[in-house]
Amino acid sequence: MLLSRKNKRFAFFLPMVVWLLVFLLYPTLDLIRLSFKDIGFVTEGTSGYTFENYTQLFQHSDFYTILRVTIIFVFFSVLFQMFLGFVLARVMVAGEDRGLVGTVVVRTSVLIGWVIPGVVVGIIWNLFLTESTTGILNYWLNAWGIGRLPFLSDPTWALISVTVANIWRGTAASMIMQYAGLKVLPNELHEAAVIDGASFIQETLYVTIPAMKPVLYTNLVLITIKTVNTFDSIIALTGGGPGRSTEVLALSAYLRVFRQFDLGSGAAIAVILFVINLVMTLIYSRIIDFEEEKGRAA
Amino acid sequence: MKRKERLINIGIYICYAIIIMAFLFPLIWIISLSLKDLQNLFSVPPEIIPKDPAFSNFRKVFDQSNLGRYLFNSVKIVFFTVVGTLIISVPAAFNFSRLRFKLKKSMLFGVLIFQMMSPLIIAILLFRYFNALGIQDRHWSLILIYIAIEIPFQTWLLKSFFDSIPESIDEAAEIDGCTKLQTLTKVILPLSAPGLASAIIFAGIHGWSQFIIPFVLLDSPDLYPVAVGILNYQSTVETISTHFLAAASVISIIPAVILFITMQRFIIGALTAGAVKG
Repeated sequence: MLLSRKNKRFAFFLPMVVWLLVFLLYPTLDLIRLSFKDIGFVTEGTSGYTFENYTQLFQHSDFYTILRVTIIFVFFSVLFQMFLGFVLARVMVAGEDRGLVGTVVVRTSVLIGWVIPGVVVGIIWNLFLTESTTGILNYWLNAWGIGRLPFLSDPTWALISVTVANIWRGTAASMIMQYAGLKVLPNELHEAAVIDGASFIQETLYVTIPAMKPVLYTNLVLITIKTVNTFDSIIALTGGGPGRSTEVLALSAYLRVFRQFDLGSGAAIAVILFVINLVMTLIYSRIIDFEEEKGRAA
Repeated sequence: MKRKERLINIGIYICYAIIIMAFLFPLIWIISLSLKDLQNLFSVPPEIIPKDPAFSNFRKVFDQSNLGRYLFNSVKIVFFTVVGTLIISVPAAFNFSRLRFKLKKSMLFGVLIFQMMSPLIIAILLFRYFNALGIQDRHWSLILIYIAIEIPFQTWLLKSFFDSIPESIDEAAEIDGCTKLQTLTKVILPLSAPGLASAIIFAGIHGWSQFIIPFVLLDSPDLYPVAVGILNYQSTVETISTHFLAAASVISIIPAVILFITMQRFIIGALTAGAVKG
């Protein structure tokens, strides 16, 4: 009786399980399988399984260009999102503690970038940075005597531009997470630091940041996953160009499969992307587990 | 001391001003562009606040592009996605919150993987299947996938809200003769109204931003949601119609931005709970 009742309760899971299996798990496994096949865009080669897609990918220097672009894009995006997120959160908490007005306005301004669709983020930054006469940033740089800069047509500048646009969009998430982390820090920590005569910078480095470790780790992993998967803003901002200078892993998988109709190498890249997502999720689950254990102990 | 305090306050206000300008300026600029006419567009120095704002741009952009259609499509797809996602995620999240069973941890981890996974990974194969079945160019097939993509996040989010409602309330409801389903719909859901509100807003914002799935699956421009439609529009405009592209972009973000600003309190709570991937 009890057992059957419990089994009935499992029916609550049924729609979710069906949906996830059909639309997420099956296509993912099938993608991994196909990445080991010699395949055309719509037809599936009949020959057996092969490592061809991967070996060809690794032999091609293009792949290392893409990897390099991805690493630079992700590293600097994450670095600045964490850093700016922390600074912004710290300033906002300081302002709130002092009862200053305007904190909500600050928070809202930062968060707006986060609700805008990635494609539109790309368009907005494109219009802001454009080298045509309508671009305001280049007008200013010129007026200040720095001269016009090739934000979207020079490979290095283009990579900087897509990274800055992504930082603009993603800082909000880090800010909010770290803001929440700062808010729950016990006040005694601050008091102890003051009594010990720590300066603001010393307190931040030796008291605040160590106490925020779990929050910072969570933040780091979540925005890394998010950034690795980002490519919608890049499509609208540079389209991956000039050349391949802003073609990150995810964008490359898309371009190969849907523009160059090269399903083999596209699937291989998508599988690499999946493995990165999987590993990061494992790390993340370790961190939240760790926190749960701690919560239980307390 | 008092003077030092005041200096710190001024310092914080200066930081506030810099932050607001840095984050809002690209938006201010696009709004400014959207209000310019052709002459104004190329004026030197550029006017941030156009002297003679061309509000007619907004009407023109509706006339010469499919923007109205795109907006309607987005609203429709997002609406059904939100409804479908909640119908599926609410009972699952309730189970995750209340039941204890052996595989629970593994299942939660499985759901988490799908939450973190790029939709691009499934897009490649779903494109093939849907083409083979001849259902690629339909809204309802998009909605099925949107729901699948949104379920993992919503399940985790809703679970955290249900976790905050004590189980003694379930027990009381059952003593009063409620079945589990009634307990969920009549007792737990009304109590988690703020949680449901944030779930709906997140699902709405995510759906509005969804890009790769419709980009890959849809052939007919008439079916495009806003994110795809505007990219399509961008590829057709020249520099001399920058103001129209700007106007279209402004219109495309207005629904999400208004939803966000008015409902901010529901979002911040969920975000700060760390339940969000950003």
